[in-house]
Amino acid sequence: MLSRLFRKFTRQKASKDTAKKRLQFSLIYDKLELNNTTLKDLQKDIVAVISNYFEINKDSLELKVKRDDDVTALVFNTPILHVKRKRA
Amino acid sequence: MEGKVIVVTSGKGGVGKTTATSCIGAALALEGKRVAIVDMDIGLRNLDVVMGLENRIVFNIVDVVQGKCKISQAAIRDRRIENLFLIPASQSDNKDVLTTSGVERIANQLRKEFDYVIMDSPAGIEKGFENSIVGANEALVICTPDVSAVRDADRVIGLLYSRSITPKLIVNRIEPARVERGEMLSHEDVLEVLSIELAGLVPMDEHVLISSNTGTPLVLQNESTAGHAFKRIARRLNGEGDLPIEVPTHKTSMWSKISKTFGFKN
Repeated sequence: MLSRLFRKFTRQKASKDTAKKRLQFSLIYDKLELNNTTLKDLQKDIVAVISNYFEINKDSLELKVKRDDDVTALVFNTPILHVKRKRA
Repeated sequence: MEGKVIVVTSGKGGVGKTTATSCIGAALALEGKRVAIVDMDIGLRNLDVVMGLENRIVFNIVDVVQGKCKISQAAIRDRRIENLFLIPASQSDNKDVLTTSGVERIANQLRKEFDYVIMDSPAGIEKGFENSIVGANEALVICTPDVSAVRDADRVIGLLYSRSITPKLIVNRIEPARVERGEMLSHEDVLEVLSIELAGLVPMDEHVLISSNTGTPLVLQNESTAGHAFKRIARRLNGEGDLPIEVPTHKTSMWSKISKTFGFKN
C-alpha cells in the first residue's frame, strides 16, 4: 500500500509494467525469428525471380534478417553481373 | 457418448501442471464423472506421488500403448474419490518409446471408457509434448505471472493452434497483495499479452505443498483457496460455462480502505 503511494508521488514505474512491456516486445520478436530452412527456401525463390531480370553471382549473395530497435528488415545483398535484355 | 481428452500443458516446467491436472481430475470425479488422469511425463513420473498412489503401481501408460496390458490393469482406482483413476507414467523408459500414433489410438480408446481423460504433459515442446496433445480435444495452458512462464505459454499456445486446438488459460500462483503493489503481472496483463480465453485464476496457496507432502487430494480440503479455484474450473469445464471466474483477492487492510475512499487507488 505504502509503496504504491510512494510510486504515485515519485512517478516511479511498477516493475510489472516493465515486465509487460518486455514480454510484448519479445513475443513479437520471437515470432519474427525464421528458421534456417525457411531462409534457404526464401533465398532460392528470390534468386529465381531476380535471375529473370539480372545475371547474378549466386555464390556471393547474402540474405539476412536485420533487427533495429523498432523495425525488422529483410536484407538481400547481391552483386549484379549483367542486366538481361528483355525481348520485346 | 464419447468422453473428452483434455491436455494440461505449459511449456515451462514447475508452474503447476501436475497440481492442476490432479485437482481438475479429482474435482471432475467429485462432480460424478468417470475420470482418467494420464501421466505423460515418461521417465519423470510425479502424478502418482502427488496423488498418493505411488504404492499401487503395477502397469503404466507405456505398457498400455505397447499392448502389454489392458487399460483396466494399468488404471489405479483412487479409494478416496469415486470414479477417479490414474494411469501412471513409466519411470524407466525415455520419452521416445511412445509413438504419436500409439498414443492417439489409446486416447481414443480411453475416450470410450471415461467421461474425461486428462493428460498431464511434460515440460518442453519436444516428443513428450507431441505425444500428450495428439489425442486431445481440448487444452488447458498453465502459466504463472512471470515473464518466462508467459513467454513459454505463448509458444505452446501457438503450437496448439497449429494443430487446430484452441486452448484456454489458467493463471496459477497469483499473489493478490503483490499484484496490488504492482510487483506482479495481473491476470489482465497476462491475458492482454497472450490474447487467449481464460479458464480460471488460481491463487498462491500453502495447502498445495502440504497436501502433496501427504499425497492427499487438495480438492478435499475445504480451506484450500487453490483447491476451491480448481473445483470451479472443473465445474466450468463440465458444462457450467456461466460460473463466474473469481479473481483472487487478499484481505483489505484498514489503510487500503481509507486510501480507496480518498481516491489513491491506482
